[in-house]
Amino acid sequence: MTSVQSTEVVLRTVGLAKNYGRFSAVKDLALEVPRGRVYGFLGPNGAGKSTTIAMVLGLIAPTEGHVEVFGLDTREHLAEALYRTGAILEGQAYYPLLSAYDNLRVWAAINGNVTMQRIDEVLELVGLGGRKNDKVNTFSQGMKQRLGLAGALLHDPELLVLDEPTNGLDPAGIREFRELIRQLAAAGKTVFVSSHLLGEVQLMCDDVGIVKNGLLITQGSVADMLRQGEALEMRVTDATRAIEVLQAIDWVRGVTPSEGHLVVEAPLERAAELSKALADNQVYLSELRPRDSSLEDFFLEVTGEDAD
Amino acid sequence: MRINAGLLSAELLKVRKRWLVYILLAVLIGGAAVQIWLLGYVSWRTDDVEYRADALRSFVLPYALPALLETGQSWGSVIVGILISSAVATEYSWGTVRQAVLRGQTRAEYLTVKLLGLTLISTAMLLLTLAAGILFSLMATSIAGLPITFDAPGGPNAFEAIIMVLRTGYCILPYALMAFCLTVVGRSTALGVAGTLMFVFGEAIIMGILLGIGGVWADIAAFLPAHNVNAIMAANRIGYFNSPAMRDIGLSASELPDPWVAALLIGVYCVGLLALAYAVFQKRDMTAGAGAS
Repeated sequence: MTSVQSTEVVLRTVGLAKNYGRFSAVKDLALEVPRGRVYGFLGPNGAGKSTTIAMVLGLIAPTEGHVEVFGLDTREHLAEALYRTGAILEGQAYYPLLSAYDNLRVWAAINGNVTMQRIDEVLELVGLGGRKNDKVNTFSQGMKQRLGLAGALLHDPELLVLDEPTNGLDPAGIREFRELIRQLAAAGKTVFVSSHLLGEVQLMCDDVGIVKNGLLITQGSVADMLRQGEALEMRVTDATRAIEVLQAIDWVRGVTPSEGHLVVEAPLERAAELSKALADNQVYLSELRPRDSSLEDFFLEVTGEDAD
Repeated sequence: MRINAGLLSAELLKVRKRWLVYILLAVLIGGAAVQIWLLGYVSWRTDDVEYRADALRSFVLPYALPALLETGQSWGSVIVGILISSAVATEYSWGTVRQAVLRGQTRAEYLTVKLLGLTLISTAMLLLTLAAGILFSLMATSIAGLPITFDAPGGPNAFEAIIMVLRTGYCILPYALMAFCLTVVGRSTALGVAGTLMFVFGEAIIMGILLGIGGVWADIAAFLPAHNVNAIMAANRIGYFNSPAMRDIGLSASELPDPWVAALLIGVYCVGLLALAYAVFQKRDMTAGAGAS
């Protein structure tokens, strides 16, 4: 699971590395973000996620390697790449003495080709239309985060790079944000998002890359990762015999006894075949159900750490 | 480089929404009022004959013009330094500098737009102060019952008056750019303001010491910005050699460098400061939390 299936890669890092003295924050990172997909960038604290995003956006110079956005090498075409990119960085960035509308006016001037009507549109989109003339220093944390999103969407970018965008949002806001991201992806936008909310990432993202200690551990589709953790839980009339039978089946990845039942690592769609194999050997099922599989389980397994 | 009216307008919007601009403008206009009314008009009304002529020159046109410009250059340098340091450093603390750069604005464009915007705001502040000073002068002259006229021996015509104003602006430039450079490099309002103040006042002390020692040390002093600023500002005082400001610096015109040479040296300082600021900003990693004080 090292390469994401796609016809076009919008964002690619090639051998990307960043050293601070002897400390390597990012090592030989090779990410691929396909067009029109929502790509979750996961890793424990200090894994190098924000450093990577800063390098993608040209805020930090890589020690080695480079970034390609829309096929453009950002060492030579950074401005061109960034004109087609919107971003939210961890930690907010706004002018506290200006209104929400004026903040977006400032950003619009930098982006160019943004109409005043578009400013109103994005403010409505993020639910700040009614507060557009209020100074930002009167906003709650969640409202400031929404303003950041409005700023990122202002110039209708093809690629969104979002670093912990749901920080400060309440549960309803997080849900709205997730739905908005899905809408943007459905409209053909590509989204690269780092988050520590694994449940949200599972619901929001098509693909995931997991980093730890600056190294990319794995990347691929969320569906594939969840499939890796697929398992069936069963209660049987003869557990010892059942283990022997199941272990003899080549597509069963593992059988583990657990609190009076067996956990069988096997594709869910082959449950009937398992049932038949057991019955053929005079072992009968009293209960069979799929084990819940989550991205969090997979994350914890591959990183060997807590989700946060 | 993409510099347009929209970017400048946005820069002006950011700066003019800050209270600091209006506080600094009030300080400048207050300074002009002190010069015209307190050091000029009130002093002139005292019976102390020794200072009456100097006091008269402080508030009656055309003599008040170079006096206002002289004060404007020294205090204007400090005020503009504070404005620039604050406007540049807060972009770091608010994180907005990163937002600007990640939107495709090149770092050189960012600094250039900021510099142009601050130049426009500073120029407007200084011209407003000059206008207020001239208004105070006209009022004080009228109250004193003296004739209001520019027709004095050695007095400037309109063109020369404009040149005097431009000279003053040019002499503010090295200190403004020093504040700019220190703040860009240090990412701190405190560093920009303190560094500029220390330089402005420290330089005057060092120059006094070097000139006092004489010899080769006095030659070194000739390369300090203040010495060359004095030379340029002295050109504003042609015809006014008896002004108190001229005596304050303890020099005759013959001891100062040629104004054109001085202007060239000041220009070298300005280019050097700009080059340093741009070079550091271009290479800098913009990490989160690289804030300013």
